[in-house]
Amino acid sequence: MTTTLTASGRRNARSVAWHLGALALLAVVLYPVVWVIGASLKPGDQIIGSLQLLPGHPIAANYRRLTEGIADIPIYSFFVNSLFVALGSVIGVLFSCSLAAYAFARIRFAGRNLLFTLMIGTLLLPYHVLIIPQYVLFQKLGLINTYVPLLLGKYLAVDAFFVFLMVQFMRNLPRELDEAARLDGCGHLRIYWSIVLPLCRPALITSAIFTFIWSWNDFLGPLLYLNEPEKYTVSLGLKMFIDQDSIADYGGMVAMSLAALVPVLLFFLAFQRYLVEGAATSGLKG
Amino acid sequence: MNVRRSVRALRTVGAAVVALGLLAVGCGGGSGGSADGKVTIRYSWWGAADRAELIKKTITLFEKKHPNITVKTDFQEYGDFWTKFNTQAAGGNAPDVFQNSVAFLRKYGEKNLLLDLNSQVKAGNLSLEDFRAGLEKAGDIDGKLLGVPVGGNTFALVYNPAEFKKVGVTPRLGWTWDEYNTAVKKISEAKDGLYGASDNGGVMYLYDLYLRQHGKAFFTADKTLGFTEDDLKQWWGDHLAANKAGDLVPAKKSEQVKPKSSVSADLSASEFTWDNFLVRYGAETKTALALAPIPTTDGKKTGQYISSLMLSGSARTKHPKEVAQFIDFMTHDPGVGKIMGYNRGVLPTNAQFDAYTPTGVDAQVAAYEKEVAAAGVIEPITPHPAGADVCEASLLRIYGEIAQGTTSVDKGVSTFFSEAKTALGS
Amino acid sequence: MSHTQTPARAVAPRDAAPGRPAATARRRGSGRETLAGYLFLTPWCIGILLLTLGPMLVSLYLSFTSYNLFDSPKWVGLRNFQDMFADERWWKSVRVTSVFVLVATPIKLAVALGVALLLVRPRKGQAFYRSAFYAPSLIGASVSVGIVWRALFSQDAVVDQAGRLFGLHTDGWIGDPDWSMPTLVALSVWQFGAPMVIFLAGLKQVPRELYEAAEVDGASAWRRFRSITLPMISPVLFFNLLLEIIHSFQVFTSALVIAGPGGGQAGGPGGSLLVYTWYLYDQGFQQLRMGYASAMAWMLLLGIALVTAVLFRTQKLWVHYEEEGTGVR
Repeated sequence: MTTTLTASGRRNARSVAWHLGALALLAVVLYPVVWVIGASLKPGDQIIGSLQLLPGHPIAANYRRLTEGIADIPIYSFFVNSLFVALGSVIGVLFSCSLAAYAFARIRFAGRNLLFTLMIGTLLLPYHVLIIPQYVLFQKLGLINTYVPLLLGKYLAVDAFFVFLMVQFMRNLPRELDEAARLDGCGHLRIYWSIVLPLCRPALITSAIFTFIWSWNDFLGPLLYLNEPEKYTVSLGLKMFIDQDSIADYGGMVAMSLAALVPVLLFFLAFQRYLVEGAATSGLKG
Repeated sequence: MNVRRSVRALRTVGAAVVALGLLAVGCGGGSGGSADGKVTIRYSWWGAADRAELIKKTITLFEKKHPNITVKTDFQEYGDFWTKFNTQAAGGNAPDVFQNSVAFLRKYGEKNLLLDLNSQVKAGNLSLEDFRAGLEKAGDIDGKLLGVPVGGNTFALVYNPAEFKKVGVTPRLGWTWDEYNTAVKKISEAKDGLYGASDNGGVMYLYDLYLRQHGKAFFTADKTLGFTEDDLKQWWGDHLAANKAGDLVPAKKSEQVKPKSSVSADLSASEFTWDNFLVRYGAETKTALALAPIPTTDGKKTGQYISSLMLSGSARTKHPKEVAQFIDFMTHDPGVGKIMGYNRGVLPTNAQFDAYTPTGVDAQVAAYEKEVAAAGVIEPITPHPAGADVCEASLLRIYGEIAQGTTSVDKGVSTFFSEAKTALGS
Repeated sequence: MSHTQTPARAVAPRDAAPGRPAATARRRGSGRETLAGYLFLTPWCIGILLLTLGPMLVSLYLSFTSYNLFDSPKWVGLRNFQDMFADERWWKSVRVTSVFVLVATPIKLAVALGVALLLVRPRKGQAFYRSAFYAPSLIGASVSVGIVWRALFSQDAVVDQAGRLFGLHTDGWIGDPDWSMPTLVALSVWQFGAPMVIFLAGLKQVPRELYEAAEVDGASAWRRFRSITLPMISPVLFFNLLLEIIHSFQVFTSALVIAGPGGGQAGGPGGSLLVYTWYLYDQGFQQLRMGYASAMAWMLLLGIALVTAVLFRTQKLWVHYEEEGTGVR
């Protein structure tokens, strides 16, 4: 009778250990999230200053409050607006940033290094000082109170973060792929569309996820450019619960924050599995 | 052909982009007028959802009485409101009419951003009659009418009557700082964890009252500070000493309970603030709170004045007449008074004041204002020069650092004076 | 991923003339390549001219002026910069921000990489784990985080009690000038989900064959990490490092959120949270000294640019791009 673990037994033990460790780590990491969930079930005046993780008597009043809308604007209005801007941003970023990234990564053109440096440079300036000139520009174009100022930049590869991210991924693809395609007579567009883009899927998915989330959470843009509460996004709606002059509704705010998490979480869940497929060199071997 | 497919793909993407673009442009709103005489004006204000609901009702009322005017409103929380307003005004795009505060009238007036409503008063679109307690003068800056009060308030002491009763002190009109400080000390000593008072050493409005009791004021009519470095050293020194002695709420504790105030977090038994803040404080705690008069130095003078939230118009508005009619309606119409209650402060005109019967906390506020007015302690407001808001923020911030122990009183005083000089001089 | 080996020969090659070797089309700076490059860059060019470069140049101009948003800007030359170097609060904001960058960045990246390594192997429930570890980044930008964080770090709350186990005695971390920076660092590190996801994507690109070959050769886990993983993910690591540094220098919302609502005091308790962009925002939008704020912004740009340039130079030493050739030995 053997008392040593078999190979599969060892594997199972390791797996269990892994799960336990990961769950323990998760407990620490998610504690604040659990706190927020607990807070959403507490009455408003018990949220600030109370140290309990979970409420003694959970109430649904905060969520019911959401069904009343804010200032006669139904909650779903904020969500629909945010969804529109977020999805619009994702499409724009995937389209324009990948084009620019391909140029920087794969095409040797005159002035490439200079423009690349310039692109990185745009990341370095705090956006606060760009607000006023950009606002004046959109105002002169008559685009205030529309969603254009929030979306235009996404279609013009203004987000250097994503261009740079995609460049890094593209540069990690062997040149032999391009050369092989060239020998077969492909032009840049074809190489971009059929070879590089598919192999960059992790970068594209990452960009999509981040764009969605950042757009969803963007506050300053909607604050400045949207003048009608019917057009407000979720980030603006969240701040409607609190003001120094008014009786703050922390319960409503926390409940809405959690509700606002749901679409983002769903988006992430839907796309995160594409991060798995990353075997980038499959086109080269064999 | 592959190229054709790529082109087709691009074309589809392009079409989608164009469609998205058209959708995004939507109906670019904003002020407008059209041939049939319909006018749209934009009204912006700060507040939260509760105020929003009330204002929406008042706008419905207004639009019924003025069917040719449509009012589009938007609102933010206080800090964000000013960020947005400053950006829009910088772009020449300020809202037609907006909520304002006395402290900012000169700040924006000197930049010619505020509409001078005197011409509208002359034209009969805006009435300055029937305002209570001289409020119609509140928006009069150097001969121009830059704002109309929409709610009045005055400084008061929010306090915990039960605790004061326990130490045998009853606040009443004309009571002195000595009596107050004694009570504060006794309360702090009696109970662990409850302090007699919040540390309001950095509150400009309180220091202003104290100075006025001594014949000075925070600002002079010449747009300079109305007190010396030694004055401020004494004021801050006294507060810091009381703080260290355990009479006032320590800075670390009051920071932690934010956004609640110390008194509504049951940390302190009294706090100086605007009387209408009782509404918010009262809702944040189960302890019963009340309003007490400001302590005096000489048994009579409190140095108080009536301040108010205002409605101002943008100097660049294309519809000054409609803006004036809107302001007139909001300040005089009894229906508006009934809807708003004391949400923005005590109602500014007699017509509105009489139309609304306050209950609960509102009644406490009304009673306090009545008492103060009857005692005749109200005096004209200290003029707030451009840069007053910066001074207010600096005072609060620097005293906060002193209370936290990261800087000394002397250093703080000289920093404050140099920051104030920059702010007022520019 | 399929790329056809035999595309239709009928496609007229657009760049290589028949008979000429394809290499000439790739000659550096050749006209065709340049044209192709700029065609691909068209959206980017429009974007940068219209939305970025234009406003950047305006802000550069403003940094030499005194501008209060409403009057026309007045030229003052270098005075803003002189004032800056004499401004105590400016130096404070530089100190606070530098400490934050130096402390938060390495911790956050280490945690992100660690958790990514944990999650890289396919496992049961990996979708759940990945999303769960990413959740803080989702909620991190929300207003409610301010309430949570302040609650968790107050006196007698969870963190305070945990700290006592290690002999730490505080009156609560929030509201204490000495302890508020650690709460900011904690908030930043808590949102490791973003760099983690990028690390995951990079780790997934490492061919399994390399690991298997190394295992066969008897390499230890650490050796495998050092010789295979690190070099293969070095482009992503470089990206994460660079961008985390840039983001940390520009930290804004997190600091506001921790200092709590009820503004008026830029900088949190005792000014301990006065990060650079907060001071900039305060000067520009609340004190209406937009010229000074613009000067501050360009100073920040110079500082970050210096760090970035140094990082880019070091690329040659430790970053390995597959396109430059194979061979990880």
